[in-house]
Amino acid sequence: MAATASRSEAVKKLQRREAWRRRIPLLPALLFTIVVTQVPFLFSLWYSLTEWKIVPPEPRQFVGVDNYVDLFDSRFFREAVWTSILMTVFAVLLSVILGTLIALLLDRKFFGQGFVRTLLITPFLIMPVVAGLVWKNQMYSATFGVFNWVIEGLGFDRIEFVSRWPLWSIVIVLVWQWTPFMMLIILAGLQGQSASVLEAARVDGASPRATFFQITLPHLRPYLELGVLLGSIYLIQVFDHVAVITGGGPGSTNVPYFVFQRSIGGGWQFGLASAYSIVVVVASIIIATFGLRVLSGLLEGEDPA
Amino acid sequence: MAEVRYENASRIYPGSEIPAVNELNLDIDDGELLVLVGPSGSGKSTALRMLAGLEFVDQGSVYIGENDVTLSPPQDRDIAMVFQNYALYPSMTVAANMGFALKQQKVPKAERMERVREAARILDLEEYLDRKPKNLSGGQRQRVAMGRAIVRKPQVFLMDEPLSNLDAKLRVQTRTELADLQARLGVTTVYVTHDQVEAMTMGHRVAVLKDGVLQQADRPRTLYSKPVNRFVAGFIGSPAMNLIDTDVTSEGVAIGTLGLTLDPSVSSALTAQDDREVTVGVRPEHLKLSTAGLPGEVTVVEELGSESFVHVTVEHRGEPLVLVVRDAGETTTTRGDIVHVDVAGPTHVFENGGARLGE
Repeated sequence: MAATASRSEAVKKLQRREAWRRRIPLLPALLFTIVVTQVPFLFSLWYSLTEWKIVPPEPRQFVGVDNYVDLFDSRFFREAVWTSILMTVFAVLLSVILGTLIALLLDRKFFGQGFVRTLLITPFLIMPVVAGLVWKNQMYSATFGVFNWVIEGLGFDRIEFVSRWPLWSIVIVLVWQWTPFMMLIILAGLQGQSASVLEAARVDGASPRATFFQITLPHLRPYLELGVLLGSIYLIQVFDHVAVITGGGPGSTNVPYFVFQRSIGGGWQFGLASAYSIVVVVASIIIATFGLRVLSGLLEGEDPA
Repeated sequence: MAEVRYENASRIYPGSEIPAVNELNLDIDDGELLVLVGPSGSGKSTALRMLAGLEFVDQGSVYIGENDVTLSPPQDRDIAMVFQNYALYPSMTVAANMGFALKQQKVPKAERMERVREAARILDLEEYLDRKPKNLSGGQRQRVAMGRAIVRKPQVFLMDEPLSNLDAKLRVQTRTELADLQARLGVTTVYVTHDQVEAMTMGHRVAVLKDGVLQQADRPRTLYSKPVNRFVAGFIGSPAMNLIDTDVTSEGVAIGTLGLTLDPSVSSALTAQDDREVTVGVRPEHLKLSTAGLPGEVTVVEELGSESFVHVTVEHRGEPLVLVVRDAGETTTTRGDIVHVDVAGPTHVFENGGARLGE
């Protein structure tokens, strides 16, 4: 008996040592993550429960959940939330649809395929601020813009795109940047589809239309979901485009830009702004949870039947 | 139901000089199960896909019944195909998989369900109709793929190595079931396999292909007893036929010191050909261990229970040569024994180019 007890002790000790051998290499990364994300988050959480103005300087006061109450009462905040939703939904849906169409075209063999694919991916690689500047000054601009050059060439009057359709001006740039991302995800899905399944459909007499809607689209479903969720997580946080293109012009102030306006952008209400950002974080976490669930479902994979 | 005919049908893949299938001529009767067999790269799958309409026919034509289908798309050929990996539609249930083709033909739902159920009954799949393919075992998936084909009641079944993803035991069992099913339904079937045992056991006729060229299409027994050339002789039969290169002398041909008595048709062909070298073929069961004959040393004994195969190293043209000899199941021969090998059955003689000599 004593022998077995000491034996199981020894096994436990080995298991513990093995567990720590796995954990130790992860510790530096974990510490770093905690320092740069979790600590500031706790500060934000604390600030969001205080009233704290810097201009004019006032002492920080604990006010409980007052900021949150104010926030849901605020018409401007509700408008910003609505703008965020519109911006995200339109940008994600349009880029998924466009990305799918382009992926379907790219999935067939043609001369110069690699080159075309690289060109199509480029918008995704451009910094958001640069994309915003390029579109604002070279595409939309009433004075120098390509669009107005074409419009004038056709004999129409110049249009101030950005001030006329502030939200859409931003959505179009977002779609331009995010279509390549969606295209890549969908293309991976298309290339993961078994060629013989498509051949079986041909032999079974399915039209190209029926094949797409009854076989390819269900196969792409997890990829589309992944694209929508990842796109939503990123696009709900869009700041650069808004700042550069409209500067929060009418109907284009989304929540991140609103938070900026209320804090370092001139409002100097750090307590209130912290409350806004906490709300955004919570919303993002909810979306991300769904996203991760879909992602893990995708990694388990459909059995190649 | 219909006959199938290949007429000088060739397929040349783009960028390749050599045809994958070269001037194939083949007639398949109504209700026949024809097996296309050959090593990998022999063009057997390509030939099947040409019939399916999944590969272009670059030259010649393909007929199903009276119709020239050479340029028809797959959906206009009234064929059903079973793929090696089954190619089930992963997002659909078993029932939807089996009814998919009927749905495309706009068959009313009630009739569709009736036909799916009937096929499921035949294949013992009734309790799995609501499952997705990923929740089925390999054997069940194979049956769903079969079901998808038989639901359609097509003119021709095309099967591309349908059993090669099953384990050995299930493969043998399914082989018999499949042959039985085909006979009951009486649908013309073209079946591709690389497994010559499968070909011999299932095919009404077997067509052997090599490098895209049809070598021989015959009943299994004829293929076995009268192979038209050296390749077919070596490919059909397990263990393979002993093939021995030897010189023609005035006395005829010999393996080592063992002179062979030849069929008169072979002897006359030999003199007429005046070939310096020929290949002699003897199947293992047509050799025996005896007290007299060609002496040699036993190197391996493969005991299979009902029979055993003894590998004997003999001397031929001054060099060692291994002959495989069939012996009784309860053989007492062991490695290292010195034995004598004698011929106890028909021999085959192939000329230098590989073609059969004599009858």
